[in-house]
Amino acid sequence: MELRGKVAKKYGDDINTDYIIPAYLLQESWDKQFFADHAFEYYDPSFKTACRTNKESIVVATNNFGCGSSREQAVYAVKYNNVVAVVAQSFPDIFYRNCLNNGLLPIQVEDTSKIGEGDELLIDLDGRSLKNLTKGGQYAIIATDSAIDQMKKGGFMGFVRERLRTRLASAT
Amino acid sequence: MGRKVSAGELIEAMPVDKLYFNEVIGPPAILNFQKDFADVFQSAGKRMKVFDPMRVAFMPDHTVPSCSIMVSSGIKLMANFAKDQGIAMYKEGDGIEHTIASEEGFVLPGEIAVATDSHTCTQGALGSLAFGIGTTEAENLLATGELYSFTAPETIRFKVDGALGYGVYPKDLVLHILGTMGEGGCSKRIAEYSGSTFDSMDMDGRFTVCNLSVEMSARTAIVNPDATTMSYVEAALHGRGASLTPEQTGMIARSDDDAVFSKTVHVDASRVEPTVSLPHSPANARPVSEVNDPINVVFLGSCANARRSDLIVAARILKGRKVHRDTNLVVIPASRKVYNWAMDNGILRTIAESGANIESSNCGPCFGKHMGILAPGDRCLSTSNRNYKGRMGSPEAFIYLGSPATAAATAVEGRIADPRKYLGE
Repeated sequence: MELRGKVAKKYGDDINTDYIIPAYLLQESWDKQFFADHAFEYYDPSFKTACRTNKESIVVATNNFGCGSSREQAVYAVKYNNVVAVVAQSFPDIFYRNCLNNGLLPIQVEDTSKIGEGDELLIDLDGRSLKNLTKGGQYAIIATDSAIDQMKKGGFMGFVRERLRTRLASAT
Repeated sequence: MGRKVSAGELIEAMPVDKLYFNEVIGPPAILNFQKDFADVFQSAGKRMKVFDPMRVAFMPDHTVPSCSIMVSSGIKLMANFAKDQGIAMYKEGDGIEHTIASEEGFVLPGEIAVATDSHTCTQGALGSLAFGIGTTEAENLLATGELYSFTAPETIRFKVDGALGYGVYPKDLVLHILGTMGEGGCSKRIAEYSGSTFDSMDMDGRFTVCNLSVEMSARTAIVNPDATTMSYVEAALHGRGASLTPEQTGMIARSDDDAVFSKTVHVDASRVEPTVSLPHSPANARPVSEVNDPINVVFLGSCANARRSDLIVAARILKGRKVHRDTNLVVIPASRKVYNWAMDNGILRTIAESGANIESSNCGPCFGKHMGILAPGDRCLSTSNRNYKGRMGSPEAFIYLGSPATAAATAVEGRIADPRKYLGE
């Protein structure tokens, strides 16, 4: 399974979920697109326009992208701005799992320093590689088999529904 | 439950013991549960039911009493669902979720507890494995009570020895640790705290340290349960006429003698000074003695502090003194029980007489939505856990983190102040 996208934004270390979507908005809507409309509104007001310019955008960062609060709205805020993947050197667990659950690919590679805004990237999940089509360079995707599987399936929902179905069938 | 796993091992389906929701993620999680699983229940000919209502609790706490129509609608949705399903629903003002989950004996040592908030790691102070989850995992858990594809994390051991000096508190210790580790320093790993400092630390302090561990990106934090833990838990259960069952006692676990740690970090607690974290990172820690910045808002509250021992020390400093004329002090006890206790023994009176604003229990301005939102240029000293830009209001405000003692001293002086001069030897 392959995905292509253009790097719309590049950030440094420790981008927290408060920066991605400020807390005061979290309770104000149950619509995922609402959070995309307010993405990075304090931290980087140009985020939305930059990501929406491409049909398939990629966000790149260095370490610890998505740290802090567990708010899943941060994933909606990124994803529903045409973002297919976030490429970073590390992710905290809660954000990583929230990405997997929503079909936003959390792509971990060892070094993102040579990837820049405007670069065209190719993500190959089966080959577990990330290619920079603009500047050249290939990076191994660091992920467990199970994470790769969920990235390909877009989350666990099918599995959880099956699990519930089995449980309800066996309950008296 | 009870299966032994090693770090790095993939657990395909991990049953959780306890699940609690706040009003931020609760409403969408309930709506998604109803949307995504209704047809599965229907085709099985079953009424829609959560996996086990006795293991679930709803605790509206972030912006209560409600501050907007949407917040009120969300709380109403939770209350209706709780009633229909037989789930315990706490009232607005009963307290901050991470405080009441332990105070009410809802989460117990040895249990796996998850909640829709990153500071769920606070429960690690009980010796439970507790961490935050997002909305989708919350709806999955309502359906099946299981967490999927969970990799058992590695553990970093923090061996902390020595006595904290006078005027130095567990909050100072954890800010100091964050300063040495950085925001990503414990990423993907559990922070396990041990050593003589923790042996003699009260539960309030252990909750504070575990709470802030997520600021170095720890998967969660844990303190081995001991006699201090057990007397806390027994008192909590006694409060609602219960006691530990043999099964619950059997779940209590301590670190194995042959436990493997990815590394051990030694900390000499006797060398830690009163510490503040400067804007805009919890890991930007400095000794209070090196900082003297003017402060016009002080917040004493949040799931990090504002328990009994925190209010005691704040009252000790504020007694007979006035909050600085240019500074606004907001005090929010962490639960209704703490609030009423502080009222009964005169602590609230002392704090009120100093000129503080005391609010009913909730997350307050730490969530950046009500009860003391910061304006551009404001400088705030907060006992909470996050000083990110924009966290408590304007992105042009400056937030410093510190202990309740530092908060009280700072409120009196209108600038960052060392609490030691108010406490005496």
